[in-house]
Amino acid sequence: MEILAQLIVSGIALGMIYALIAFGYQLTFATSGTLNFGQGEALMLGALVGLTLVGHMSYWLMIPLVLVFGALQGIFVERVGVQPAIKTKSEFGWIMTTISLAIIFKNVAENIWGHDDITFPSPLPTEPLQFMGIRVLPMEILVVVGALAIMLAVELFNRKSIYGKAVVATSNDRDAAGLMGINTGMVITFSYALSSMTAAFAGVLVAPLTLTGATMGVVLGLKAFAVAIIGGLNSGMGVIVGGLILGIAETTTGYYVSTGYKDVPGLLLLLLVLAIKPAGMFGKSVIKKV
Amino acid sequence: MLQIQNLHAAYGKVEVLHDISLEVPKGKVVTLIGSNGAGKTTTMRAVSGMIKPSGGSISLNGKNITGLTSNKIARAGLAHSPEGRRVFATLSVTDNLLLGAFPRLTFGRERGDVQGDLARVFELFPRLKERAGQQAGTLSGGEQQMLAMGRALMLNPEVLLLDEPSMGLAPLLVNEVFRIIAELKGRGITMLLVEQFAAAALEVADYGYVLENGRIACHGPAQQLKDDPAVKAAYLGASH
Amino acid sequence: MSAVKNISIVLAIAAAAALPTLWPNPYYIHLMVVIGIYAILLLGLDIVVGYVGEVSLGHAALFGIGSYTAGVLHFQLAVPFLLAVPASILVTGLFGAILALPALRVNGPYLAMVTLAFGTIIQILINEMTFLTNGPLGLSVRKPVWFGHQVTGTDYYYIVLVALVLALFVVQRILKSHLGRAFEALHDSPIASDCMGVSVYAYKVYAFVLSAGMAGLAGSLFTYSEEYISPNTYNFELTILFLLAVIMGGRKTRTGPILGAIIVVMLPNVLSDIDLFRKISIGIAVITVMYSAYAVTARIRSIRQLVLPLIVTISLAVSGFFINDISEHRLTIFGVMILFVVYYLPNGIMGFVRGIVVRFRPQWIHRHVQILEHGDKQHVWAVPDHPVTSNGFLLEARNIVMQFGGLKALNDVNLQIKKGSVHGLIGPNGSGKSTTMNVLTGIYNPTAGEIEFNGKIITGTTPSSIAGEGIARTFQNVQLFGEMTAIENVLVGLHHTFRHSLIDVVFQTPRCRKEKNSAEVRAASLLQFVGLADLANEEARNLPYGKQRLLEIARALALNPSLLLLDEPAAGLTAPDIKELISMIEKIRSHGITVILIEHHMDVVMSICDTVTVLDFGQKIAEGTPAAVQSDEKVIEAYLGGSAKAA
Repeated sequence: MEILAQLIVSGIALGMIYALIAFGYQLTFATSGTLNFGQGEALMLGALVGLTLVGHMSYWLMIPLVLVFGALQGIFVERVGVQPAIKTKSEFGWIMTTISLAIIFKNVAENIWGHDDITFPSPLPTEPLQFMGIRVLPMEILVVVGALAIMLAVELFNRKSIYGKAVVATSNDRDAAGLMGINTGMVITFSYALSSMTAAFAGVLVAPLTLTGATMGVVLGLKAFAVAIIGGLNSGMGVIVGGLILGIAETTTGYYVSTGYKDVPGLLLLLLVLAIKPAGMFGKSVIKKV
Repeated sequence: MLQIQNLHAAYGKVEVLHDISLEVPKGKVVTLIGSNGAGKTTTMRAVSGMIKPSGGSISLNGKNITGLTSNKIARAGLAHSPEGRRVFATLSVTDNLLLGAFPRLTFGRERGDVQGDLARVFELFPRLKERAGQQAGTLSGGEQQMLAMGRALMLNPEVLLLDEPSMGLAPLLVNEVFRIIAELKGRGITMLLVEQFAAAALEVADYGYVLENGRIACHGPAQQLKDDPAVKAAYLGASH
Repeated sequence: MSAVKNISIVLAIAAAAALPTLWPNPYYIHLMVVIGIYAILLLGLDIVVGYVGEVSLGHAALFGIGSYTAGVLHFQLAVPFLLAVPASILVTGLFGAILALPALRVNGPYLAMVTLAFGTIIQILINEMTFLTNGPLGLSVRKPVWFGHQVTGTDYYYIVLVALVLALFVVQRILKSHLGRAFEALHDSPIASDCMGVSVYAYKVYAFVLSAGMAGLAGSLFTYSEEYISPNTYNFELTILFLLAVIMGGRKTRTGPILGAIIVVMLPNVLSDIDLFRKISIGIAVITVMYSAYAVTARIRSIRQLVLPLIVTISLAVSGFFINDISEHRLTIFGVMILFVVYYLPNGIMGFVRGIVVRFRPQWIHRHVQILEHGDKQHVWAVPDHPVTSNGFLLEARNIVMQFGGLKALNDVNLQIKKGSVHGLIGPNGSGKSTTMNVLTGIYNPTAGEIEFNGKIITGTTPSSIAGEGIARTFQNVQLFGEMTAIENVLVGLHHTFRHSLIDVVFQTPRCRKEKNSAEVRAASLLQFVGLADLANEEARNLPYGKQRLLEIARALALNPSLLLLDEPAAGLTAPDIKELISMIEKIRSHGITVILIEHHMDVVMSICDTVTVLDFGQKIAEGTPAAVQSDEKVIEAYLGGSAKAA
């Protein structure tokens, strides 16, 4: 029983990272119906840039700089990869361009930071805390708090500021938003900036718990796909629950079955959700007007 | 105020507007009438930048707005209340209205009296005030129409484009919509109006254009069109 | 023309067969074998990417499944080559179905996301399931021994060549048949395709499974070619290479995949040889500069459009002199190539060449098969597939409510359509007429209420099955298959008359030919009926608006419907055309087809409708004969709306 509780606690931290990346998918999907197949690479770049910066400053000072970097990286992806494809209404186009940008980023990172995984110095004590026999790393708590905080911040921004409302309006009805004088192209660029920013943030949150390296993003980005589909591409609650489900499913599979198989339940769950409720567990299916 | 010259527009390869020229003078209400598929909505969409015209020119207050994106045209002072209402379903009524004034709220400073305009819109549409906090998607059709019109007014536009404001509304509400249009006219708002109820539209308008198969078939002062036997037969007596 | 084509195909095969004798180096023979194998996979991938328009990021994994099925069967059970290959095709096809069935239920990027995840999982499974696959150590396989003769590398080249030619042949036949037409139709207009009884979902799955099967074939051939397989081969990089090959070679062609295969197989060789890389990158830069100069002077593209590719190609050429180990930057180069192809060569190399040929020798390119059948009057009307069995009403809609958010577009509507009647549906804009059409044809699932058609409840089923029951429709905003010819559009409507199977298609059995011929005669007759006989081989998007509407009617009639829904057929028609339309509707009725007509032209409604239903604000406000409805107080008010006050 204690072991199960331990597995669940570890699963939660992992799940929140997935949720945060999946949240990034939702941000761009809402405004433009596109998503960045290189979201994992945005996370990886955030972590590696953070690693380099941490050599010169404290972890806490590094975070805002990484956020800025993430936002710029997102703008780059949108301008180079997504915008031209949106203009030609080509789904194939944006999928291919974001993938190719992703492999370019990965390759460049390999050439800058090398092929090997590097440890990321933890800003918090690495001694686990004990709660009723369950060991929790302080960093795991930071992951959960940090992930929730940034999602909440984005939500608040969307609800309170006029720019946030413009973002929601664009995702409701892009043409009508344009009629309000909202530069919807800019809103989409902005959503990519936000999305990559959250991914970069997820990167520096998860890095002290795992190792950093050019290949760290691929699997994380993939898991977050599963989370986004399981929870629903348009449900904020969905990604959190989906992330938790997947995170816990992985730690328990890893323990009870085999660590080699820990990535399998995610896909099975993914196929199952698509087969039963294609819009996701919490997603609303949209009736397309003809 | 609004001038359209030799406008052409196409969906894909099919040209649907051929050589449309019309003019909306300041403070006047001009209506476009014609059967379904004649190109009324397409004209509106081309003017407000929702589609790019394939030829011709459009100017607003002497400024050339041809081919600009819709957000730039809105910033130039043209508000368009689109066909089918298109309110932002997940946002509240108040947020919808504030977004109508979006160009006046950016960069951290408010231009003009946005709160005062909001109060005036609520005064014009008391129903909206009752529903201020409600999600726009849960409003009834008539309320959504009022919201769409109110939202367009929030821009303080030079010209207001109203596309089928009575669409899908119960007769009582249709009367209400026309009463509001008349009231807006009384306040000196320049309007281009597309309506399927041609008789009512000509009643409120100063001038009218008749569209047929993407061309302007005839035009004239509203009163004159109303008495024109050909127009009468084709559009006014539709159900008699 | 087709003789020239046949001769060139024979010559190409002969040249391919002669290659090993001209170039007996085993290394090159092996490369050609790999090219052939990749080409088979790419032909299949093109069905998904090019024809159906979905993105698969799982073809490397499917390729791996094919490889490992053959490998495991050989290694664990010593199954012979000729059994292992078909088994691989079946197993891989099955995996394709498991993936496609859930992932294609929703529109959007889901297939890409699911297949990407699938790729990773398959690699993990191959690594982990050591009892079957021997894990990361890989499997060793020997080429088969036939009649005491050990098959050599050169022999194997011929085996792959035969497989490739067969694959080409089969794919070509499938894509030229009604199946290929269905793939193109669903890509062009999914809604129209569903309403013509061609289920978008079913045919997308069909395409994906076919494509998976071909990946399985390629995979199993690969196992015997390499004689050793290990999990790391089937990685994400390979998927990217496959996609690069398909789009670079040229989608929707047979030559494109072969060209693409040559490029991606040669690419690693180019990248491992720095001198060769420098030469080629300089060559590309020179070509780009020359093309840019040509394009700017010929005003095909503006300088601004060309700045980016110029910078990229020139910097690629320059970077060749600063980098010593290109393979380190391999992925960057792939990435740049994909970006380049997506933006500047969207139709691939073959598409680009075709574009040039069209410019100078348009008569050489036939985008469409010309169908020159002549229609006649007796083939317009077929015996209906859907005999009317119900008594009284053909269709009954009971208490239909359709809600969008808080808005009730239809509020408790009841409709009863008499057999053999023309039933008018009128009302102001936005009153719910088109919503009614969409509910009746299954595009919307009503919030409440049920619809009984011909004695069956059809609510809750799909548009394609409703079409199959015998309800055909036209669309208010025309939904034709724009890139297909008029007659091909009608043939999509006749899809239900093709009862033969994939096997019949591949072997072109007499049954297949007979059905094809009678469908073509029928299609030509239907076009003649609506007066479009002269425009049969014209692309639908090039027809004038009014003619497009008539083509929709012909296409709907092809479904042999017992109920035909016409949504504003007179919009965009001139007065004489409208007269034609009225007599056309009369003829349709006289052949026992019940018609529901939405129309704004009152003269049309009044002259042919038996019953008229008036909708307003999502509710039925009047119903009866045209004359009765016309004098109804409520109707007058609804139509005049605001002017009631003014008057």
